[in-house]
Amino acid sequence: MTWKLFFLLVQAAGSTALISLAAIAIGVCVGVVVCAGALARNRLLNGLSRLYISFFRGVPLLVQLMLFYYLLPALGVEVSSLSAALLALSLCTAAYQAENLRGGFLAVPRSLIEAADMVGMTAAQRFRRIEAPIAVRLMLPSMMNEAIAILHASALISVVGVIEVTRMAQNLSSSTFRPLPIYAAAGLLYLIMTGVLAGAGLLAERRLRVRLS
Amino acid sequence: MNRRGLLCAAVIGLFALSHTASADVLAEVKKAAVLKVGTETQFAPFDYIDSGEHVGFNVDLFAAVGKEMGVQIQWVALPWAGVLPGLEAAKFDIVAGPAIITKERLERYTFSVPIAEGTVALNKRASDTAIKKPEDIAGKAVGGGRGSNQLAQLKTFAATLTPPATVREYVGADEGMADLAAGRIVAYSASLPNAAAAAKARPDMFGLVLPAFGSKAYFGYVGRKDEASASLMQAVNDAIDKLKKDGRMAALQQKWFGTTFDMPAMAAASAI
Repeated sequence: MTWKLFFLLVQAAGSTALISLAAIAIGVCVGVVVCAGALARNRLLNGLSRLYISFFRGVPLLVQLMLFYYLLPALGVEVSSLSAALLALSLCTAAYQAENLRGGFLAVPRSLIEAADMVGMTAAQRFRRIEAPIAVRLMLPSMMNEAIAILHASALISVVGVIEVTRMAQNLSSSTFRPLPIYAAAGLLYLIMTGVLAGAGLLAERRLRVRLS
Repeated sequence: MNRRGLLCAAVIGLFALSHTASADVLAEVKKAAVLKVGTETQFAPFDYIDSGEHVGFNVDLFAAVGKEMGVQIQWVALPWAGVLPGLEAAKFDIVAGPAIITKERLERYTFSVPIAEGTVALNKRASDTAIKKPEDIAGKAVGGGRGSNQLAQLKTFAATLTPPATVREYVGADEGMADLAAGRIVAYSASLPNAAAAAKARPDMFGLVLPAFGSKAYFGYVGRKDEASASLMQAVNDAIDKLKKDGRMAALQQKWFGTTFDMPAMAAASAI
């Protein structure tokens, strides 16, 4: 494998990284909203959130991609390859992140919430001082898991015509007939990208660590 | 070429229902002065990425066709699983696969006039001296691409041998050729131009087993089979016929395949 081919892979890995990071960021934001809905007492909000989660977790990402790319234009909405890919990745990962968030909030000990109520905190105070800090610490590992999973799943977006690292590796291996070194290089690039993500996750956990005096 | 992904096939049904047909595709193409062509870019020597550049027989041929029609060519590169759904959803108007023209496929799609011969040949490992002619695969494991015409022909051929060869199915040529290199099969069936390209790209690893066998088959470009697309396919055919007459087609075939082919004039006549 020449440097030129490796450079092409690195370039494609750049698209993988950018699209995945954008999807992770949008996914967490949408996930927060969906999680809020899923935890709400309002029946309608609750139902909508649960519907959202079951759709985006239930339909395979590959099919979601094709739905966004092919079905939306048929309904009169023009979408580019890139926006279809970003839309599907973000909305899909949002469903998983919403469940991760919900899991975090459900795991906040009941006794702490009762204690907060006892000392007269308002609901907002209780959320800011007790529930959110505890929940965030609890859900960080699983949210990082999902971030890494969506980075890997981004290999699927080539089906709507976005060139990312897996697709580039396929292109190069089918024209050079040397799949092994090319896929090995692509694997290495994924390893580096997930390494950076995992490192960021650890850093965040360390920053948020509770120090017992 | 192979048909990948049952999942995608299921989704095609949806698109077929929802696909909004325009009145006349050729008129729209002329108006925009752009012909959108869908392709896979993993089908050397027809269409592939060479050091980052999209090149191949298709690229040159469509450049000439575009010139004849007075339109720009805009390439839309998708994995094969997305190419036919994309055609049906009108993301582009013709597919530069190309695909072998078969009677079964003609029932669902329109094909251009033949552009190359695609009779089946085998790739083997260059180091394998036991296989000198196609019949030498008797009793051994061989492979072909799922859904491909080459696989169907290989199966027919394998069954006539004593003892018959075992045929394994692969998602695509990349996987099959990787298994050939790994020694799990002794030969992989591809169309003659593709098989020759593999042997040429990696002479240290792959060899070509001649002669080609099975029924003579031809490659054509794929279009939608609706009335709106008929005029476009006719215009593409007219352009290709012109290239055939003035020798440009033969020059392109010589450039990319190292040989020229005698081809039937019409898609229907070349279907197998």
